Amino acid sequence: MANITKKVSWSSRADETGILGEGTPLLNGSEQLTHSRQPSEGRSVFQIGRLSTVDLEEEITSDEDSQRGRPNEIPHNEKLLSLKFESLDYDNIENQLFLEEERRMSHMNFQCLEISRWVVCGLIGFLTGLIACFIDIAVEELAGIKYQVVKKNIENFTEVGGLSISLLLWAVLNSAIVMMGAIIVAFFEPIAAGSGIPQIKCYLNGVKIPRVVRLKTLVVKVCGVICSVVGGLAVGKEGPMIHSGAVVAAGVSQGRSTSLKRDFKIFEYFRRDTEKRDFVSAGAAAGVSAAFGAPVGGVLFALEEGASFWNQMLTWRIFFASMISTFTLNIFLSVYNKNPGDLSNPGLINFGRFQIDGVAYNFYEIPLFIAMGAIGGLLGALFNILNYWLTIFRIRYVHRPCLQVMEAMLVAAVTATVSFTMIYFSNDCQPLGPEDKKEYPLQLFCADGEYNSMATAFFNTPERSVHSLFHNQPGTYNPLTLGLFTLTYFFLACWTYGLAVSAGVFIPSLLIGAAWGRLCGILLAAITTPAPLWADPGKYALIGAAAQLGGIVRMTLSLTVIMVEATGNVTYGLPIMLVLMTSKIVGDYFVEGLYDIHIKLQSIPFLHWEAPATSHWLTAREVMSSPVTCLNRIEKVGTIVDTLSNTSTNHNGFPVVVQVSGSDEPEKLCGLILRSQLIVLLKHKVFVELARSRLTHRKLQLKDFRDAYPRFPPIQSIHVSQDERECMMDLTEFMNATPYTVPQETSLPRVFKLFRALGLRHLVVVDDENRVVGLVTRKDLARYHIGKHGLEELQLAQT
Amino acid sequence: MLSLSLSCFPTMFLSTHCPFFVLLVTHFYPRVSGNTVDLGAADLADKARQFPAVFEPAPGGSSSSLSLLLSSFPGDLEISEYCRDQLLIFGQRYEAYVKCLVPAARPVKVCENCFSSYVNLNETYTNITDQVGPGNVSCRDSLLRSDRLMVVFVLFNNLKDLWEKSGCSHCITKGFQGLTNDTLAFMTMLNQTQTCFDTYRQGNHTELCQKCKNTYKDLNELYRTLEMDLNMCIDVEDAMNITRRIWSKTFNCSLPREETVPVIAVSSFMLFLPIIFYLSSFLHSEQKKRKLIHPKRAKSYNSLMNIQDKQN
Repeated sequence: MANITKKVSWSSRADETGILGEGTPLLNGSEQLTHSRQPSEGRSVFQIGRLSTVDLEEEITSDEDSQRGRPNEIPHNEKLLSLKFESLDYDNIENQLFLEEERRMSHMNFQCLEISRWVVCGLIGFLTGLIACFIDIAVEELAGIKYQVVKKNIENFTEVGGLSISLLLWAVLNSAIVMMGAIIVAFFEPIAAGSGIPQIKCYLNGVKIPRVVRLKTLVVKVCGVICSVVGGLAVGKEGPMIHSGAVVAAGVSQGRSTSLKRDFKIFEYFRRDTEKRDFVSAGAAAGVSAAFGAPVGGVLFALEEGASFWNQMLTWRIFFASMISTFTLNIFLSVYNKNPGDLSNPGLINFGRFQIDGVAYNFYEIPLFIAMGAIGGLLGALFNILNYWLTIFRIRYVHRPCLQVMEAMLVAAVTATVSFTMIYFSNDCQPLGPEDKKEYPLQLFCADGEYNSMATAFFNTPERSVHSLFHNQPGTYNPLTLGLFTLTYFFLACWTYGLAVSAGVFIPSLLIGAAWGRLCGILLAAITTPAPLWADPGKYALIGAAAQLGGIVRMTLSLTVIMVEATGNVTYGLPIMLVLMTSKIVGDYFVEGLYDIHIKLQSIPFLHWEAPATSHWLTAREVMSSPVTCLNRIEKVGTIVDTLSNTSTNHNGFPVVVQVSGSDEPEKLCGLILRSQLIVLLKHKVFVELARSRLTHRKLQLKDFRDAYPRFPPIQSIHVSQDERECMMDLTEFMNATPYTVPQETSLPRVFKLFRALGLRHLVVVDDENRVVGLVTRKDLARYHIGKHGLEELQLAQT
Repeated sequence: MLSLSLSCFPTMFLSTHCPFFVLLVTHFYPRVSGNTVDLGAADLADKARQFPAVFEPAPGGSSSSLSLLLSSFPGDLEISEYCRDQLLIFGQRYEAYVKCLVPAARPVKVCENCFSSYVNLNETYTNITDQVGPGNVSCRDSLLRSDRLMVVFVLFNNLKDLWEKSGCSHCITKGFQGLTNDTLAFMTMLNQTQTCFDTYRQGNHTELCQKCKNTYKDLNELYRTLEMDLNMCIDVEDAMNITRRIWSKTFNCSLPREETVPVIAVSSFMLFLPIIFYLSSFLHSEQKKRKLIHPKRAKSYNSLMNIQDKQN
C-alpha cells in the first residue's frame, strides 16, 4: 500500500491512455502540511488534514466520501509533484538469478564487458559528433539560402521602394520555417521542446521522464533545432546537443531500437537502468563537448549536473567519449570547409582566438569584472523571473498543440519584425573588414562600401553575431546600437525560451551578455582618456557573455571550464571564474537558475544534493507512505494480478513478507520485488503448479527480464485465465532478498542521504521486529523544500 | 652538443662563444664518425671550409687578440667580390623601389607605378639566394644569415610583405608585362566616372546623382565581379573606395529613407498580433487545472500537532 503516488508508464502509449481513461479514482483531498504559521490558511488546512487519514485500501463508503464531492482542482503552479514521473531502478537487484549469472560468467566475460563499455563510449562520441556536424551544416546551408533570398529582396526594394514587402517576406519565411519545427514538436514529441538540459538533468538524477531517450525524440529534436535556428528565433543549437548526445548514448548502449523493432543482439548486459545511466551521462558530456568544443567542460558538466554516481573509470570513459565527439565534429567540419585535416572547428560555437598583445588583463581590472558579474546576476535573475511567469501562463493557457504552434509562429514573425525595424532605423554604418565576407551584410541607406552595423548583429545566425561581438575591431559598433540590441534581444530571448520548439538558451544568453559587455568596454574606453590599451571591447564582451550566461543558468565549475575551453585561453580562467561566482551569488539571492525553475514547473520530483536544512525533526514515520501493500513469498496469482491491475494504487515495488509457519506472529520482511519483475513472471507463467507438471519447463533467466526492458508490457495485456488465478507463485528466487531498510525513527536527512547516495527507488521502513510499516519513495522525499516560510511541502497532482 | 653548435654556426659565428663550440665539435669529430653521423659530420666539415677564419685559433687565446681579429678583418676574406657586387645592385634597386613607393602611397598607385621596380628587386634577391656565381660562390649564407641583424633579409622581407598585402600580383599579368585586362577596364571606367563627376560638379548635386548614376553603377558592378573573384589589388580597392566616398558623402547620392510610414504600419500590426493571441487564449482557453492527489500517510502526531498549532 505504499507508493500511491506511482503511476504506471510501461510504455508511452499505455501511459497516455492511462491518464485519459483513468479519471480520478484517487482521493482528492489536499493535504497542505505547510509548517508555516500563516493563520489565514489554518482552517482549510485543518479540514483537509483530517481527510488525510483515510485509508485507501478499504472500500470507502463512509460519510467522508460524500464530503469529498467534486475533485479538488487547482491551477498549475510550481509547488506540485507530478504523478507521471517515476524513479529509475539504479539499485542492483541481487536476487538468485543474478547470483547464478554472475557465477556462470568467467573472468574473460567481465573483461569483454569492460572493453565493450569503451567501444560503446567511442560510438557515442562518434555519433554525437556526427549529429552535431549534421545540425551545423544543415543550419549553415539553410540559413544561408534564407538570408540570401531576404538580402536580395531587401537590396532590390531599397532602390525602388517597398521595403515593407521585404519585412513581410522575412516574417513569413521565419514563421513558415518555425511552424514546421513547432508542429513536429507540439504534435509528435512534446518532450523534445526546449533545450532538454532540465530533462537530462532529471534523468541523471534518477527520474524516469517518459520518452526522453527515444529515437523519435532524437529525430524530432534534431529537425526541430534546425528549424528554429534557421527560422531566426533567438535561440541556439548548443543546448539540444546535450539531449541529443544523451539519446544517442541510451540508444547505442542498448544495442537495439524498440521504436524500429530492431535488435542487434549486442550489449545485452547493459539493458538495465544502472548501466544505461552511466552511458547517458557520457552522452550528455559528448553533447557538451561537441557543442562548445570543450571535452573537459563536458565531463565536468556530466559530473556537476548529472552523474550523481561516478567513479574514476566512469569519468575516464566519459572523457574518452567527449574527446571522440569533438574530434569527430572537427574532422567532418574540416572536410565540409574544404580544408581536410585543419582541425580548427572543435565545437558548434567557436569563440575564436583572443589574441591580446601583451597582457591579457590587468590586476586592477578584476573589480570591474566582478561588477560586471553582479550586473549579469541581476539581469539573469530578471530573465528568469520573466520567463517563470511566462511559463506559468503557457502551462495554464497555451497548452493545446495548435495554440503552441501559433505562438511559436508569432514569436518568429515578431522577431523578424523587430529585427527589421531595428535595422531600418539604425543610422550606424560601418565599413566591413575583409574577415566578414562570409556574412550577409546589408547596406540599406548606408554610404557605398559601408554596411548597417545593426544588421551584422540581427541579420545573422546568433553564433556569428556572438563571434563578431567578440572579435570585431574596436569601433565596429556604436554604443546606441549595442544598447538597443541588448534590450530587444533580452526580451526576445526571454519570450522565446519555453516555446514548443527545440532550442537552447546558451547562445542567446551569450549574445545578450556579449552585447552589453562590449558596451561596457566601449564606455570604459570613452570615460578614461586617453583610452588605455587594455580596454579592449572584445574582452569585455567575453566577460559580459560569461556573466549573463552564469546569471541565467547558474552553472559554476563546468561553465567556467566550458568558457575557458571555448576561448582557448587559460589566462581568462580567473576572471571568468570570478564573474560566474559573482553572478551566481547575486542571482541566487533573487531566484533560482532557469533549469531549476523549469524542473519545478514541470512538477518533477528532483532530489537535490542535500535534504532541506532544518528538517532533522522529521522522521521516517512522517515521511513514509503507509500502509504498504505487501505480497507473501508464495502468493496466489489472482492476488498478484489484482494488485497490479488496481489502477488506484499503481505501485512499483512490493515488499515480500513471510509468515512464520503456524504461528500468530506478524509477518516479517524478507525481500522486495518490482512490478516489472512480476509482469515478466506472469508473462512466462512461472507458477508453482506448472513447474511441477512440466518438468522440462525452462528455467527463467535474467535475460528474460532484460529482453523486456525498458518497456515492460502493461498488466492489462497479460492474460491470466481463471484456473491460473488459483495457482501459486514462488517469489523467492526473483525478489531482492536484501532490500535497504530503515527504522521508523530515522531522520529525514538520513533517509535522504541513503536514498540519494545509493540511488534507491524504494526504502522500506520497518519496526523493531522487522515488520513493514511503511515505504519511502522519491516523491515522499522530494516534496519537502525550503520556501519563503521555512520548510514547505509540495502537493501531489496528476498532470 | 652537436646540434647546438650547428645552429649557432651560420648566424653567430662572430660572437665570442661560437669558436669555442666549433672547436669542441672538431674535437668530437673523430669520435662520432660512426655510420649514422657521417653525413652530418661531412656537412659540418664542408661548412668549416667556408669559414676558415674561425678555425685559426688565436695563438694566445686572449681577448686582445680577438679584438684585433675583429677590427682588422680582411674584407675580401669575409665576402667574395661577386657577393659584394650583388649587394650593391640590391641596394640600388631597393632604393629605386622605395623611391617609387613613397609618392604612390596616397592615393594608392603602388601596383600600377612600381611593379617593375619590385620585379627588379625580386630578381636581385633571387640571385642572392639561389644563383651561384663564378667560382661556385653562393652569397646566400654570407649576405643573408651571417649575423643576427640580417639586414638584407629583413629589409627585403618588409617590402615583400607590403607587396603581398597589396595584392598587386592580382593586377599584373603573369610575365610581369603590365596590368591585366580587368584592371585596365576598371581604370577606363573609373576615368569615365570621374569625368562625369567633374562635368556636373558645379551646380546641383541631384543632377549629378542622376546623370552619373549609370556609369557609377557600372563601375560598382565591375568592382563587384572583381571582388567576387578575389581578383583585386590595392590600387583598384582604393580607387573604388575614394569614388564611393565622394559619391555618398560629398555628393550625397545615397538612397534616402523614404518608407518610414509603411514600415512602421506593418511592424506595429505584427507587434499587435501577439497581444491579441495572448488575450484571446487567456480569455477563451480553458485554464489547465491539476487534480490534487492525496497520499496515504501514517497517522502522524506531528502533522496533527502542526494543524492544531495553526488553529490557535
